[in-house]
Amino acid sequence: MYKVVRRKALRPTVTQLEIEAPLVARKAKPGQFIILRVNEEGERIPLTVAGVNPEEGTVKIIFQVVGATTELLNHVPEGGYLQDFVGPLGNPTETEGIKKVCIVGGGVGCAIAMPVAQEFHRIGAEVTSIIGFRSEDLVILEEEFNECSDTLYVMTDDGSYGRHGNVTVPLEEMLAAGEKFDMIITIGPLIMMKFVTLTAKKYDAPITVSMSPIMIDGTGMCGGCRLTLNTEEGPVMKFACVDGPDFNGYEVDFDEAISRGRMYFEYERHAHEATCNLFKQAENA
Amino acid sequence: MALDPKKHEMPSQDPQVRAHNFSEVALGYTEEIAIAEAQRCLNCKNKPCVAGCPVNVNIPDFIMKAKEGDWEGAYQIINATSTLPAVCGRVCPQETQCEAKCTMGIKFEPVGIGRLERFAADWHNANATEKAVAPESNGHKVAIVGSGPAGLTCAGDLAKKGYKVTVYEALHTAGGVLVYGIPEFRLPKAIVAREVEGLKDLDVDIETNVIIGKTLTVDELFDEMGFEAVFIGSGAGLPMFMNIPGESLKGVFSANEYLTRSNLMKAYLDDPKTPIMKGGKVAVVGGGNVAMDAARTALRLGAEHVYIVYRRSMEELPARKEEVEHAIEEGIDFRLLNNPVEILGYNNPDDPRDPKNGFVKGIRCIKMELGEPDASGRRRPIPVEGSEFELDVDAVIMALGTRPNPLIKNTTKGLEVNRKGGFVVNEDGLTSREAVYAGGDAVTGAATVISAMGAGKLAAASIDKYLSSK
Repeated sequence: MYKVVRRKALRPTVTQLEIEAPLVARKAKPGQFIILRVNEEGERIPLTVAGVNPEEGTVKIIFQVVGATTELLNHVPEGGYLQDFVGPLGNPTETEGIKKVCIVGGGVGCAIAMPVAQEFHRIGAEVTSIIGFRSEDLVILEEEFNECSDTLYVMTDDGSYGRHGNVTVPLEEMLAAGEKFDMIITIGPLIMMKFVTLTAKKYDAPITVSMSPIMIDGTGMCGGCRLTLNTEEGPVMKFACVDGPDFNGYEVDFDEAISRGRMYFEYERHAHEATCNLFKQAENA
Repeated sequence: MALDPKKHEMPSQDPQVRAHNFSEVALGYTEEIAIAEAQRCLNCKNKPCVAGCPVNVNIPDFIMKAKEGDWEGAYQIINATSTLPAVCGRVCPQETQCEAKCTMGIKFEPVGIGRLERFAADWHNANATEKAVAPESNGHKVAIVGSGPAGLTCAGDLAKKGYKVTVYEALHTAGGVLVYGIPEFRLPKAIVAREVEGLKDLDVDIETNVIIGKTLTVDELFDEMGFEAVFIGSGAGLPMFMNIPGESLKGVFSANEYLTRSNLMKAYLDDPKTPIMKGGKVAVVGGGNVAMDAARTALRLGAEHVYIVYRRSMEELPARKEEVEHAIEEGIDFRLLNNPVEILGYNNPDDPRDPKNGFVKGIRCIKMELGEPDASGRRRPIPVEGSEFELDVDAVIMALGTRPNPLIKNTTKGLEVNRKGGFVVNEDGLTSREAVYAGGDAVTGAATVISAMGAGKLAAASIDKYLSSK
């Protein structure tokens, strides 16, 4: 069992947990993820590491309530326990040789982007961050990004906070003005990463995307996380858990990944509703 | 007394009934049948059956105890060389091992050795009251990577000799392929859990949720944790696909994924927390035990029709004979000498938001004929030109085998692997690194439970020799 040492609601549907998991805390690097199960019957879900405290032996995760399992996770109190917590999985984000980087985070993906931005800041790279959210009530981690970024753009789709528009707007402005990044790293919803990649491509800018597909074990065993890279030698199948999660954005078949991500859409919607109803019943009882 | 030429039949659930439940198919002999079957053993002097067993169970001796109805005695003889009798009695391919060598089998049907082993093990599990006691510690620490059949066997053998053993498991439950791969109807999970508990009685520590190569490295096991030897039984990791169009459609699964969802994650239960596709028409590609398990799982999950698509003929099917027979009885449709060339997806050009878009709707296959024998000795399947046809299916499960997992190789210096990614070991199970041993599917690629156990046993003996002479 893994203790929830601290719990903090960042937003009504976005929560940060710090979990006691010393072995993971010792090893996890920015860009890597963990898999957890809330309880004995629960499913395994992957979540990216949002930070570690090796001295204390804790791992930070940030999640948005989107389905049954995240709903359940959101109900674990401070001092409560998670059934399973394993990692770190996947490869850390490549930082070598990158002196000037643009980090583009979307929604709860910013929780993954943040430790990556912090790492680049730590090694002395020039960091430009663009973080985007649907609306003001979902904005997270602005303070943290401010601290580790040389330049920061906060965007909202509806203009309720920061600048109005998508994350691609400031990116395109910079690239069109001749700004050169050694690497653009984007983490967020697939559809956003697809358009960030298309924007980068217009200006021949190199781009890394962080994929988080459906998976079970996270060690390469199930193959559920497979995706297609369209390489010069033709299409190649990769497993996000062992080959990624970071890939060259130019090569990723986003449309296929988007389609595969909706595999259990109907099931998940019903499961989430059922879980919400259970909690409502418990509250009303 | 005249010898019964036939093996006593295994009482089984009716095929029509069992095709809709996950309870064990084979119900096991009654004591009466078991004793009658034991009496078929000739107790011949040269004991060819023992040589046919990868862990050399002293078969005639245990059957002699069985004849007398001394089941605890029989169990103890098996247990002296095999760590997992209740498992082996169920999943070993006896027809190619011990029973293939049985003298009775020359003229008649061989003795039902596997069925007797199962009876003795089940009898022990139901009746034995004494727990195994850990022997006095010899002070040496050994780490085992993976809690599948190779790891559990190696751990058991070393613990019985007084070693302090820690088993590291990447998943949340111990048992490896015995829990994530083999379905409940063939190997009840309670049996695996019992074997794992037996190891804990021997003072073996089982650490789940630790991935060697990620959470800890092999070097850290030696340098920081103080282990003096490591056995790697990490299994065969990455599922193979065919590299044909359509394999990324929704509704295409590796058998590993499909079976893990059903077995380990218990998606076969009503109202599961982990989703799985149920119902519809399903094609399973492959002819091994895993293919049979996937096909029969699909059936039990409510599929209306299940095909096995295999490119060779019935004769070359690598699955255990009993599983093929059971599958046929349950109504699995064997489409042999067929090979998939493309998986077809649904696409509504008028509505990009149609929820069916991107899901499997069929599989295109080509007929095959058998040519000359290939390197494996089996006749090579050759496509018959112009013979392509389509099957309407909603899901395709690829059961084509696995490649070894790269996580340990990538994080351990000096560990040699072969062309296929399996660890290179010598006749003692020793890898290219001092004190690092390996065995099971991590070395051989996908094989059987019993051969993995044999490798775990060999490594345990080698580790004992190495550490006791240090």
